[in-house]
Amino acid sequence: MSRLRRKLFGGSSRATDIAAPMLLMALILAGWELVVHVFAIPAYVLPPPTEIVAKIFEDWRIIFPHLQVTLFEIVAGYALAAVVGFLLSIAIVYSRAFRRGVLPLIVAAQTIPVIAIAPILVIWFGYNYVPRIIITALVAFFPLTISIVTGLQALEAEFINFFRSLNATGFQMFLKLRLPAALPNIFAGLKVATTLAVVGATISEWVGASAGLGYLMAQDSAQLNTTRVFSSLVVLGLCGMAFFASVGLVERLCMPWVHGRLDLSWFGQRSSAKSSSADTNEASTRTN
Amino acid sequence: MTNVRLAVSNLRVTYPLENRPRVNAIEHVDFSLRPNEFVSIIGPSGCGKSTLFNVIAGLLAPDSGAVHLDGRDIVGRPGNVAYMMQRDLLLPWRSILENVILGPELAGKPQAQSRATAQTLLRRFGLEGFENAYPSALSGGMRQRAALMRTILLERSVILLDEPFGALDALTRASMSEWLLGIQREFQRTMILITHDPDDAVFLSERVYVSSPRPMRIAGVVDVNLPRDRRRDVTLTPEFAAHKKQVLSHLQSNPEPRRAA
Repeated sequence: MSRLRRKLFGGSSRATDIAAPMLLMALILAGWELVVHVFAIPAYVLPPPTEIVAKIFEDWRIIFPHLQVTLFEIVAGYALAAVVGFLLSIAIVYSRAFRRGVLPLIVAAQTIPVIAIAPILVIWFGYNYVPRIIITALVAFFPLTISIVTGLQALEAEFINFFRSLNATGFQMFLKLRLPAALPNIFAGLKVATTLAVVGATISEWVGASAGLGYLMAQDSAQLNTTRVFSSLVVLGLCGMAFFASVGLVERLCMPWVHGRLDLSWFGQRSSAKSSSADTNEASTRTN
Repeated sequence: MTNVRLAVSNLRVTYPLENRPRVNAIEHVDFSLRPNEFVSIIGPSGCGKSTLFNVIAGLLAPDSGAVHLDGRDIVGRPGNVAYMMQRDLLLPWRSILENVILGPELAGKPQAQSRATAQTLLRRFGLEGFENAYPSALSGGMRQRAALMRTILLERSVILLDEPFGALDALTRASMSEWLLGIQREFQRTMILITHDPDDAVFLSERVYVSSPRPMRIAGVVDVNLPRDRRRDVTLTPEFAAHKKQVLSHLQSNPEPRRAA
C-alpha cells in the first residue's frame, strides 16, 4: 500500500514526511482560531476555521447544488481549453504564418481582463452556460497552449535527423516523436490549467449567473455572510486540489518511463537493482 | 551487376555562413565499397565526416557528385541506408524492445513479426532480460548495443556508423569494437565507420581512409592486410602496428591548417 501510494503521489512514505506538513497546517489553523477569539473579531470580518467547517456541513444542501453547477463549468471549460490549446499549439508549431500572425494576437488578447469581456459573451451567447464555459476556457487555455508549444518545439535536432534518416512521414514524426517528447510539458500545462479553470469558472459566475459557487459567494458577501463565503472557498479549494491530483495521476499513468510503471513486478527496486544487473550484463558480454 | 555496393563519386559539399561566401565542407571525395566490406574514415574532428554521412544517408544534398547504392542513385533519398548516429538516440518513452523495432514499425511492417525477430536477437546483443526496460535503466554500452540492434533491424545492406562508441570508456569501447566486428560478419552488412581512433579503425576495417582537415578530402588510403577473422590480440602484433603507423603518418602529413584570419 505504501509503495502504491509512493507510486501514485511521488513522495516518500515516511511518517514524518506526512506528519510535518500536517502539523504545520494545524498550527496555522490553530493560530487563526486563537486570533479570532482573543481579539473578538466578528464572524462577518473573519470567521474562525471551526465555524467555516461547521458551516460546510450545516449548509451542505445549499452549497452542493451550486457546487455541481461550478464543477460542470470547470470540467467543460477545461476540456474546451485543452482541445483548443492543443489544436492551436499544433498550428503554431507547424505554420510559420500562424505563428507570426495569430500568436501575437493571442498574446495581446491575454492582456484584456476576462471579466471585461464577460458581458459581451453574455450578449452573444445568452444567459446560460455557454459564456461561463468560454470564460473558464479563456482563463485556462493560454498557459496550457504555451506549454504545449514549448514541448512540441523542445525536440533536439538530432532526433529529427534520425527520424528523417528512417524516411519517416511527417505524421509519424509527430505521433511517434514530437508528441511523446512533449508529454512532460503538456502535462505541466494541463496541471496549471486545472487551477486556472477553477478560478475562471468562479469569476465567470460573477457576471450573468444565477447558480454556482461563484454566484453563491457573491450573494453571501453582499449579505455579509462571510462564514459561508469562506466555506464555499474551502469547498472550491478542495475541488481544485482533487482536480490537480487527478491530472497528476493521469500524468503518471501516461509517462511510466519517468515515474515508473504502476505494476512493477520485476522492475521493482528500480534504482538499486537495475543498475547492478546492468553492470553484470555488461560484464558478461565483455567476456563473450 | 558490378561488385560495388556503395559508390561515392566526386562529392563536393559547401555550406553557407552568415554574410560570407560558402565554405567547403567536402572536396572531391571518391570511394567505393564492395558488399560486406568494413571501411573506416578517420580524421580530425570537425573535418566534415558527419556531413559526408548526412549526404550518403540522403539527408543533405551535395553541391555536386553522386552516391550510388547497388548502381542506383540515392542522393537526397533518405531511408536507403541505415545510419547510426553518435548518440544512441533511443526514445526514452519506449522500452528497449519497442525501440529496436522502430524501423520496421515506421515502414508499416507487421508488429508481431518484428517483435518476434527482435526477441530472438536480444541475446546476441546482450540485452536479454532488458526488453521491457526503459533506456534510462541501461548503461552506456547497453544503450549503444540497443541502438546498433535497431540499426541492424532496419535491414539495410549498408550501415553508417558515426563514432558509435565515442562516448564510452576505453574498456567498454575495446570490447564493443570486437563485438561489433562479430556482428558485422554475422549479419553480413557493409559498414562505414567514422572514428577518431586509429586502433579502432585498423582493427575493424579492411580499408582505412584518412581524411584531411576541413575541407574534407581523402588524404590517404591504408589497405589493412590482417586476417579477416580477428581477435583483439591482433592489436599487439607488429603487422597491426605497421598499419597503424601508416594511418598515423597520413594523419600527420595533413596537419590542421592554420586558421585563416
